Parts: sequence; C-alpha cells; structure tokens
Amino acid sequence: MAAADLNSVRATIEGRLATELADSPAIPVVFHNMAYEPTPNSSWVQCLLSFGTSTYLTHGGTSDSRNELVGIAVVNIFSAKGVGPGANYVIGKRVRDLYNRINVSGVHFDPPIGPEVVASPSPEGYFQTQVRVTFDFIEEL
Amino acid sequence: MAVLRGEQGAVQFDAAGSSNATIVGTRSWSLSTTKETLDVSKHGDTFRSFVGSMISGSGTVELVYDPDATGQAGFLEDVLTTADPADATFELFTTGTSSGTDSVSFAGIITDMEITSTVGEINIVSCNFITSGTITGNLE
Repeated sequence: MAAADLNSVRATIEGRLATELADSPAIPVVFHNMAYEPTPNSSWVQCLLSFGTSTYLTHGGTSDSRNELVGIAVVNIFSAKGVGPGANYVIGKRVRDLYNRINVSGVHFDPPIGPEVVASPSPEGYFQTQVRVTFDFIEEL
Repeated sequence: MAVLRGEQGAVQFDAAGSSNATIVGTRSWSLSTTKETLDVSKHGDTFRSFVGSMISGSGTVELVYDPDATGQAGFLEDVLTTADPADATFELFTTGTSSGTDSVSFAGIITDMEITSTVGEINIVSCNFITSGTITGNLE
C-alpha cells in the first residue's frame, strides 16, 4: 500500500464531471486555476475541489495503517438571468446524480447538498446555484 | 520513554497460539486486569488484612472492518471455535510490534463478537475476550 495520491483522487472527481458535462447538451466546465471567459446568457459550471482533514482510522505507523481523508467538491452552476431556474436545475440534477452515494475508485461520495440558490452570483449577470458534495477516501499505508 | 498515543498501538493474535501476527485494521484495545483478594484477618485483629489471590483479565479489541485485511477474519471467527481450549494467544502493544516489548501477552478466549453497520459510518467490529492462564506484562 502507499500514501494517497491526491491528484488521482482529484482527477477521479473532476474527470467524472468533465465527462458528464461533455455529453449532449454539453456545458462548459472549469476547475481551479483555469482561466475562463463565460459567454453572456449562457450556462456553465465551475467545480472547486478542496481536501480537508485527515484523521487516524486504525492503529499503526507508516505501514499497515489507515487514515480517512475528507474533502468537498463545490460545484457552481451558472445559467441565464431573468428566465427562471429551470435550465439551471436541469444541470443541477445532472451534477447531483453524478455523485449521489457513489463509490468510485475508492472515493465515497455522500448525498449532495443543493442545488442551493446563491443570492449574490459571482460573477454577476447570471442565475447561480451551488451543489456541494462531501467525500472521503481511505488511505492505506 | 515519551508519552504514547493511541495510534501507536497494535494487536497481535494467533488462533492456534503458535505465532502471533499483527491484525491490520485494529483501532482500539483495552485490557482490565483484576486480582481477587482473600481475607486473612484473625481473631483479635481490629483491622482487616488481605492477601492477593487469583488474577484474571478481560478486555475488548475494536476493528475497522475489512474482510481483506490481514488477520481480521481469523480473529473475528475465533468466537465460533467450539469447545475452545483457550489456545489462542494475544499480545496487546502500546507501541510498536516487537514481541515482549511495550505489551501485555496472554492466552485467551474471544467470548463475543459484535459487528455493526450504521448508515453514514464505517463498519466496526468489537470483540470481547477473557484471559486464560498467565498474563505477562511488558509495560515497563
């Protein structure tokens, strides 16, 4: 066994979203540290993934031991302003269904939170909702 | 010797009592040792006197359940041993896994095993045991 490959965990989570949103109807998706200039009145998605705390799960030192790593994927969904929430929630369902209680490549996703309406969209000029998905990963040393 | 932390501990076990091996996935252990006492007060005494008598122990080992983890299955299923001759051996370590160092060792019997599956939580197994015969302490 080896220490957790956090970049692999990131790729699992982000890759799942990128693949889903590449399907028809395709929705642009951006991740941390990526430049993006959205087209006005269009729909697009921003996924911000962060790792959180690691906790002891079992006895042991640097071998034959396990830790639990947790994190959160915050998915901001933007859609055209002034035309109701329907189009936004259609995307929200796609995002939610993608992670809801799924266990993939050792990453376990909890039931998602949202989509919740964001009162002050950032950037402005869009209707914004947010889906948050907490996840955990067992590190086997 | 520095103060020890729980995660430094370990549990070794062998159902046949020949060669202890580390159980992967243990998350806690406890051992309670009790010495019975005999009242040796005599006529005319005004204060009771005692001498130590039989010593016994019991405790619990908790595991994060993983059917593929080394040593877990043999440990959990030892509770199913019929006509158990108490030939299983345990060594409970406060730190490290060097036999005879920072540990307590004994033969014993697993008297009950409980496995729990709770929504939103990791599956946990708890095994209670009693000691049989000599308890050897190496905690100094």
